Amino acid sequence: MPVKVLAFAGSPRRFGNSETLLDWTLASMAEEGDVVVEKVPLTDANISPCRGCNACEKLNKCIQRDGMDTYHDKIIEADCIVLASPIFCMGLASQVKALVDRAQVFRSRKYVLKLPVVPPERKGKRLGIFLATAGQTWPHVFDAAVPSVKCFYHVIEIRDADISYLMVNGVDEKGVIAHHPTAKADAEKLGKSVIAELKNRLSEGTAP
Amino acid sequence: MTIKVLGISGSPRRHGNTETLLDSFLDGAKAAGASVEKVVLKEINYSPCRGCNACHKTGECIVKDDAPGVYDRILAADIVAVASPIYSMGITAQLKGFIDRAQYLWARKFILKTLSFSEDHIRRHKGIFISTAGQNIDHVFDSAFPAITALFHGTGFDYTENIVANNMDFWNGIKNHPTALKNAYERGQQVVRDMKNLNGTS
Repeated sequence: MPVKVLAFAGSPRRFGNSETLLDWTLASMAEEGDVVVEKVPLTDANISPCRGCNACEKLNKCIQRDGMDTYHDKIIEADCIVLASPIFCMGLASQVKALVDRAQVFRSRKYVLKLPVVPPERKGKRLGIFLATAGQTWPHVFDAAVPSVKCFYHVIEIRDADISYLMVNGVDEKGVIAHHPTAKADAEKLGKSVIAELKNRLSEGTAP
Repeated sequence: MTIKVLGISGSPRRHGNTETLLDSFLDGAKAAGASVEKVVLKEINYSPCRGCNACHKTGECIVKDDAPGVYDRILAADIVAVASPIYSMGITAQLKGFIDRAQYLWARKFILKTLSFSEDHIRRHKGIFISTAGQNIDHVFDSAFPAITALFHGTGFDYTENIVANNMDFWNGIKNHPTALKNAYERGQQVVRDMKNLNGTS
């Protein structure tokens, strides 16, 4: 079985800095054998924000019919889920926050209905990567985004210790990340190490 | 001059815990003599920032919808109370989408230098964040504050306080909370009284 990577490009600006960082990461992953990568630009994904109706606490399903119908299933099927966002106003882009908030259906399933989000044998065999870019140079510019990202991963059964982060500040105008001294190498290293770790974990308990 | 108070409700749910807490604050402000208005983001038409940076050159947003008009009303208010429930440890996507749209004001302020707020202006404009959370953890509001800070800095407001109530799941709604609504009402009164004192019109 190939390793399945599902990646959300969260910026409203196509092919900007956060998506470039994502592309570097995904390219390095795809270079490894037996990896299937799917990139989803949120600009094309048709994911509306959560309405806070709490119906999912009873229905185990969102009442909204939109792109999330597809991505709900893909999130469950993937071995690695990558989320890329620019930082706007000290937080996730609202398009990314909408995806995070729509993961409420998984929260309801896990904590309210006490149903499995993934089969028990897949727990601990899913990894997350959060990629972010920010125009500001402050080191704390990513701090407020991270707790929401953790919420997203927790409810889709990716543990704190299984989330990797690559967050690059000081990149504002489109394309400037290409001149960053370490971002590309860091992204490639991260992509390769996550695939290696996943292959390791996925082979555990299976016949050679 | 009547003190102008503007409330902005960022919840997708009408008349839920957060909007009720905001209403209590606004009722207090009204009782203290302010003129009060409320914008419910759910009821207006706006889309999120596209990150196109066109405003960096023009100081205007290329997206023509209701958001700039709401920013005009923010800039014309003396006190702004912005409200959001906590979803996934942050403000709602709806409020974040609105806040991100203030980029054209940021561009006017920092790139085009066509907008600035004097220290005296900021001192006379107060920003308040109102929020509720289902969770019981104390730090559940912390990641919401930086985006609210960005909003108030960009619009010339002195971000003075948070009126927040957590553990809504335990209380089974704000109406059962022992102190939150009364506290918000009193804060609404007090913030208006303080503003009148500041302006010498009490």
